[in-house]
Amino acid sequence: MTARGILSRRELLGAGVAGVGLMALGGCGPSPQRRPAAASSGAGAIRVASMAASTKDTLDPAKGAMATDYVRHYMLYSGLTSIDDDSLRPRPALAESFDSDDRITWHFRLRRGVRFHDGAPLTSADVVHSLRRHNDPAVASKIAAIAAQFAEVRADGRYGVTIRLTGANADLPTLLAQAQFLIVKAGQDHPDGTGTGAYRLAQFEPGVRTLVVRNREYWIPGRPHLEQVELIAIPDETSRVNALLSGDVHAIHAINPHSLPRIEASGTCEAVVTPSSLYTNLIMRQDHLPTSSPDFVQAVKHMLDRPLINRALFRNTAMLGNDQPVAPVMPYFNRELPQTVLDLDRARWHVRRGGLNGLRLPLYCSPAATGSVDMASILQEYGSQVGLEFAVNRVPADGYWSTHWMRHAMTFGNNNPRPTADLVFSLFFQSNAEWNESGWKNERFDRLLTEARGEADEVRRGELYGEMQRLVHDRCGIAIPVFISLCDGYDKRLKGIKPIPLGGFMGYRFAEFARWED
Amino acid sequence: MSGALAMRVRNMRLSGRIGLALVLFWLVLAVGGPALAPHPVGAFIDQEVFSGPGRTFWLGSDYLGRDVLSRVLWGSRYTVFLALGAALLAVLGGTSLALFSAIRGGWTDEILARAMDTLNSMPSKIFALVLVAAFGSSLTLLLLIAAFIYIPGNYRIARALAINLVAMDFVQVARARGEGAFHIARYEVLPNMIHPLLADTGLRFVFVVLLLSGLSFLGLGVQPPYADLGSLVRENISGLPMAAPAIIVPALAIASLTVGANLLIDALKPGGKA
Amino acid sequence: MTAAPPTRSAAARLLPMIAGRIASSLLTLFLVSVVIFVASSLLPGDAAQELLGQSATPAQIAALRHEMGLDQPGPVRFVHWLGALLHGDPGVSFVANMPVSDIIANRLPNSLLLAAITALISIVLALTIGIASAINRGGRIDSALNIATLSLVAIPEFLIATLAVLAFSVKLLWLPSISLVTPETGWAETLRALALPVLSLTCVVVAQMARMTRAAVADQLDRPYVEMARLKGVPFGRIVLFHVMPNAIGPVINAMALSLSYLMGGALVVETIFNYPGLASLMVNAVTSRDMPLLQSCAMIFCATYLALMLVADIVAILANPRLRA
Repeated sequence: MTARGILSRRELLGAGVAGVGLMALGGCGPSPQRRPAAASSGAGAIRVASMAASTKDTLDPAKGAMATDYVRHYMLYSGLTSIDDDSLRPRPALAESFDSDDRITWHFRLRRGVRFHDGAPLTSADVVHSLRRHNDPAVASKIAAIAAQFAEVRADGRYGVTIRLTGANADLPTLLAQAQFLIVKAGQDHPDGTGTGAYRLAQFEPGVRTLVVRNREYWIPGRPHLEQVELIAIPDETSRVNALLSGDVHAIHAINPHSLPRIEASGTCEAVVTPSSLYTNLIMRQDHLPTSSPDFVQAVKHMLDRPLINRALFRNTAMLGNDQPVAPVMPYFNRELPQTVLDLDRARWHVRRGGLNGLRLPLYCSPAATGSVDMASILQEYGSQVGLEFAVNRVPADGYWSTHWMRHAMTFGNNNPRPTADLVFSLFFQSNAEWNESGWKNERFDRLLTEARGEADEVRRGELYGEMQRLVHDRCGIAIPVFISLCDGYDKRLKGIKPIPLGGFMGYRFAEFARWED
Repeated sequence: MSGALAMRVRNMRLSGRIGLALVLFWLVLAVGGPALAPHPVGAFIDQEVFSGPGRTFWLGSDYLGRDVLSRVLWGSRYTVFLALGAALLAVLGGTSLALFSAIRGGWTDEILARAMDTLNSMPSKIFALVLVAAFGSSLTLLLLIAAFIYIPGNYRIARALAINLVAMDFVQVARARGEGAFHIARYEVLPNMIHPLLADTGLRFVFVVLLLSGLSFLGLGVQPPYADLGSLVRENISGLPMAAPAIIVPALAIASLTVGANLLIDALKPGGKA
Repeated sequence: MTAAPPTRSAAARLLPMIAGRIASSLLTLFLVSVVIFVASSLLPGDAAQELLGQSATPAQIAALRHEMGLDQPGPVRFVHWLGALLHGDPGVSFVANMPVSDIIANRLPNSLLLAAITALISIVLALTIGIASAINRGGRIDSALNIATLSLVAIPEFLIATLAVLAFSVKLLWLPSISLVTPETGWAETLRALALPVLSLTCVVVAQMARMTRAAVADQLDRPYVEMARLKGVPFGRIVLFHVMPNAIGPVINAMALSLSYLMGGALVVETIFNYPGLASLMVNAVTSRDMPLLQSCAMIFCATYLALMLVADIVAILANPRLRA
């Protein structure tokens, strides 16, 4: 084996320049040429890319766990109620009316003449089946914890349903608008896509794509406006943005805020930023040392550079958080609570008072909790300035929730937008909650929570939730640096899109409202 | 010894010398670079993200507004030492097993060869993903995992070389003298395969550098705030459309390091200096 | 095997070798399944926990574990799985609740198609580059090709792929940025969809093959018989094709087999960036969701591909080598 190549400097230089040139090619913006809508299309056939798909993809609303599932399920199925875009209050959907005297027993009257995609009429039997199955462990419903409140679900004639709860809950109509409570056909243990939704299922390949076509007999006249929607997932964010810019897809979900300038510069696409109550939080367990020390918790809350997190991670699209889970866009947000700000002197003072100086503590983060890896880096940097040494431990996304989340003194959690304050408080902050993330116990908080849940008077409810926010802000071992806004990208020819704080893609229901205009 | 080395370098063709210079450059940076870094590796110092080169930040800032130069200086340490360590370990492990296998022969050889085939047949990135998920990704573990993944490849090559050598007369003579297996391996076989093994070490080095950047694509790798060069490329990928130095500099760093290593390997091959 | 007398025909010598190799391949496949089983039992969490995710309750996990059979001890599950496999049934995916064979049947053709097109292009390219460099060894073409191939391997493949998308899809609007292939897609559309993935993968594998070709061909070109043939007046092209190549083919085909085995499992990055539904991303999915039956089957396929390629390489080397061919 001989190699007698002589390499001249000029050639080497040439190769280097060629490499840089190739890179510079990427530097050019996309040209403003336009591509037709989907290759398969007539007018109004669009392709939509969400962020995650896997063999876990399901047609069963109860099992829906990701944005892709929610979008798919809202296209195929309808709920008893839905949430008003502006007021975020519940309004009738498949149920034409609902009422309750004591907020324990609720009566729903079903809309008549609604048909499933296979022609069968919607009756109380379908609703009873859909709601009851959440309490069957074999169904593995994602909201079994909420459905546990159903003491009884029974048919009340062909078009009436009565739900009796274990305790008063004024929020039931809001809860029933959740994607998991969408109505499936009676008798289907494994729902197959036959619903009463705006689109019919044409093709479903888990992890690859979902193809739906317009349901011409949709129970809301005049909707939907699109002929066909193909839902795919492009997990890689850069690829997703490129697919939108190159015209291969017409709407994308979950854009990294750093990609927004590219989309805005394109001329053919636009970004929609939806403020939401999504947050990634730092959990300081109250049953571990030293995180249970109030001084430790206060020190950490005062060394969070929230504006930096907002700027560096989210390009100022987020809203500053105040270590309590009710976002400014949600009902009952407490405006009187003073905002915690970066105060390293105060943090140092707490560190000294708690005798925590020089402490070394592992901090677990994972791509599973959006932004937590970068937040951990930021915390580590400031920690070194106040005498706390955080050893960042980044672990893979898989296995994170089952083996790390809440199981070490300091981990990160990630909470999707919840429709009600009650839900987020009872899932993550109630003393006996399964996912009481920080292991926080506060009797007064628990009492207020139960009282607020059954309270009919809105003003009184607001006061109760306001005080609960103050309690969490002052005492709980949870730090919420920012509320993350959801960024979606759309082809400009797609009209009728607006932000709805319940989630990206107009609360996952954009397909019902979107129009295509060339 | 050093005289012979200098001789070798002088006899090397230009491309080999360029390779040597590049590799030495990165070695020096890996050792001394972090001391030269103008800013702490995790400090958030720029209000802007992906800013271009300037007076304050020579190579601009990254996607979080950190100093690219400092991060690359630290990153080169992780990449160079991880890759070098893993390559040496892989060759040490692979060659020891190969010598053992070739000298023992028979069933030992067959079983070892099958075991190595087994490991070799698994896609390296996915295998690394499983190992990192199972054991974690501290620096030591990353080193061991990368080494473990490249042992079978080295074994394959070393065994082929050793089997040829074992069949030769001088080894048979040593056997007849009653020398032990270790003696034969250490003094008869190994010295005669050292050149191709050196070249293979270089190749493994390049492979580990690329494996590390592949792992960074899966979100695995060195723990923050530090990052190896591959992770730097990956975490700044959104700067590519604007040709930010934050992505181009680490990419060029990987390229020059691996190209340099390859050129050096070519020059080290027997006959390469002709 | 090599001890067979040279008088016997190639087939007579090849058949026992192939039989032996297939037998040892079965052993290797078994070992792979053991390794996968052991490695994945070390992973934190199990399929039930991963499927239910953050919102799992202990009761649901217990119910799902029972349904999946995860409440049985590991070795028992392994023996059951192996027994079923021997009867041709690779089991049911825990997560998708579909037969593993159906899922694989969807993805395998995609992976094979991508690998086949890439193999075809990169082999031709690598041979061309390798032979051209070897003939001009020491010259400008040689160094230029050497630097070019080296630079290609030196760039992380996700960077190559992303650059290709930015240039050809976003900027020029020539090619799709994601590779959506469905059974209804026509040939022309499929080829267009595959263009960028093939380009990226070719960049990754071509360098190693080209360099090995160059080394082997150059080695032969320096032998006395080439000089002899030239003196006799045999045209140079003829010498390269009919005298040099058969002798150089052994190491070349070996390097090619190694590189090509990368095209199945190693296509992970390309599959992710182009959203191409192939086997490598399926296997990563299986790892992250702890879907043991699916994971095992993917590993089996990758291992079998690797072994088959190695076997083919050895057979070709024997058939092509005039001295071994007898």
